[in-house]
Amino acid sequence: MSANIQINVHHVTRLEGHGNIVVNIRNGTIEKCQWQVPEAPRFFEAMVRGRRWDDIQTIVSRICGICSITHSLASTKAVEDALGLQVTEQTDMLRILMHYSEQLQSHTLHVGYLVAPDLFGEKSVVPLVAKAPDAVKKIIKAHRIANQWSDLLAGRTTHPVTLTPGGMTKIPTAQELKDLQKTLKEIVPDLVAICEVVHSVADRMPAFERPTEYISLRQDNPPTYTFYHGGIVSSDGYGPVHIRDWESVANEYVSPQSTAKWCRWHRDSYAVGALARFNNNGHLLSPLGKKVADMFGLKKGCCNPFMNNVAQLAEAAHVVEVSIELIDKLLTKGLKDEKVKVTPRAGRGSGCVEAPRGILFHTYEFNKKGECIAANICIPTNQNHANIQKDFEKFVPEYMHLGEDGLRHGMEMLVRSYDPCISCSTHMLNVTFVK
Amino acid sequence: MAKETIVIGLGNPLMADEGIGVVLIERLEILAREGKIPNADRIRFYDGGTGGMNLLHVLAGRRKAVLIDCARMGTEPGTIRRFTPDQVQTIKQLAHLSLHEVDILKVLDISRQLGECPEEVVFFGIEPLEIRQRMSLSPLLHAQIPHYLQTLLKELSLSSNLDS
Repeated sequence: MSANIQINVHHVTRLEGHGNIVVNIRNGTIEKCQWQVPEAPRFFEAMVRGRRWDDIQTIVSRICGICSITHSLASTKAVEDALGLQVTEQTDMLRILMHYSEQLQSHTLHVGYLVAPDLFGEKSVVPLVAKAPDAVKKIIKAHRIANQWSDLLAGRTTHPVTLTPGGMTKIPTAQELKDLQKTLKEIVPDLVAICEVVHSVADRMPAFERPTEYISLRQDNPPTYTFYHGGIVSSDGYGPVHIRDWESVANEYVSPQSTAKWCRWHRDSYAVGALARFNNNGHLLSPLGKKVADMFGLKKGCCNPFMNNVAQLAEAAHVVEVSIELIDKLLTKGLKDEKVKVTPRAGRGSGCVEAPRGILFHTYEFNKKGECIAANICIPTNQNHANIQKDFEKFVPEYMHLGEDGLRHGMEMLVRSYDPCISCSTHMLNVTFVK
Repeated sequence: MAKETIVIGLGNPLMADEGIGVVLIERLEILAREGKIPNADRIRFYDGGTGGMNLLHVLAGRRKAVLIDCARMGTEPGTIRRFTPDQVQTIKQLAHLSLHEVDILKVLDISRQLGECPEEVVFFGIEPLEIRQRMSLSPLLHAQIPHYLQTLLKELSLSSNLDS
């Protein structure tokens, strides 16, 4: 069965951010087993050089269509750090609320549109609509609500327009927040139903494990399941490291099989994402988040990468539940129209937030006119590349008995479980005319 | 209540001609504000960026959708071509490894299956000259912007006449 296998999944449809799976097995011996990422590196950093401090966020929000709020937040925080700006408690809470919307948006999209078809044995979500219409409709409803939530806080679903260094350019009204809160309360039963549907087919996720170092933010004061504040920690017990020192965590290096830089901290590789956050902070999940994790038997210390999808479901429940509370706090304190005044200055600063797919770092340096003279951005998917490779090296010998199709499918599922941001910087149509 | 027509500009303005859809939607919004588009109050102009599956939600509940996108169609660079989804077949191969792979034609498929797709969907594809990391269009496409806008306005005027 596994004597000779050749797998070549070439993701050749984009100019940026390909991800290729290459496996050669001859006479039962693995000759090649690679996760190749021929991505054009670092071009966004060049684009922001020379730009003003208040232009940066708009540009970097276009790095990704799925995590545009996250990029905008990391960027805004980095600019604020460089310019020495403090934001108000209200701004902080509104941004966190905005950020939660992207977690729900991205997680429901990933589990519903990319993972569920695997578990139901379909090639994509398109045939799944007919096979499991109720489940798909619930997923789409949750995704739609998350989008409306983003619209309200970020000004639009993707590429936010309400963020500015030092504050917000537009805030929601109390009534809008009340309406959002009501909608979030109503979506809870649907989220539970989605989790139950995924749970019914969860035994199709491979029981694959590989001891891994997991990196995420951790917030100790007050202890919070954080996506936004805190320092960088490792599940191996290291940290917290201040976010300004993120380069000493990422330790980016060049791999011959990839033009995207790879990362490692205490082991050959590390993983970021929902499972990393869960492994470092799982005890701080909301009651519903914990209930979802328990439903699937997800426990801290889990090193099955496929369980990242389950951690995403737990986080989806968590962000809805904690947002309901956060809106109460905002309404109790009362919304104020706050003016922002910024005086540019020379400086260097870093911003770090958890993208749905893992920890994201932005660092900028500005001259005294507030023009960017250097930038460094490290995206979560690049931090996961080396770990995907290490997973492949254990996965292929353990699953090669499945034969070529089974092994390829398993490896594709493994890549998908990381929810990679294989760059969406280009997306164009490619068509041929049939009429 | 959703406006009955949505005009969506797709693409990434950081990638030269890839961003043509977004550039044109910005121009159309300006023209609408200046009162140069008839019945503009019935039209939502939407910068879709590279939001992909998010478009599913903005399409829902409309009568008509006009999608403006950079497209490899095998035509001369700079060409603008109107087509409907049934006139084309995608030759884009998705590995389905990432959420970030998007084919708007697939989004329309899902929209149709859910019974939410606008009854009329029109594409305006524009053949790129350059897709590279740059925050401006190629001079070729830039020079054609008035022509593209004229073509789009013709479509929107047609919609307006039909609506009234």
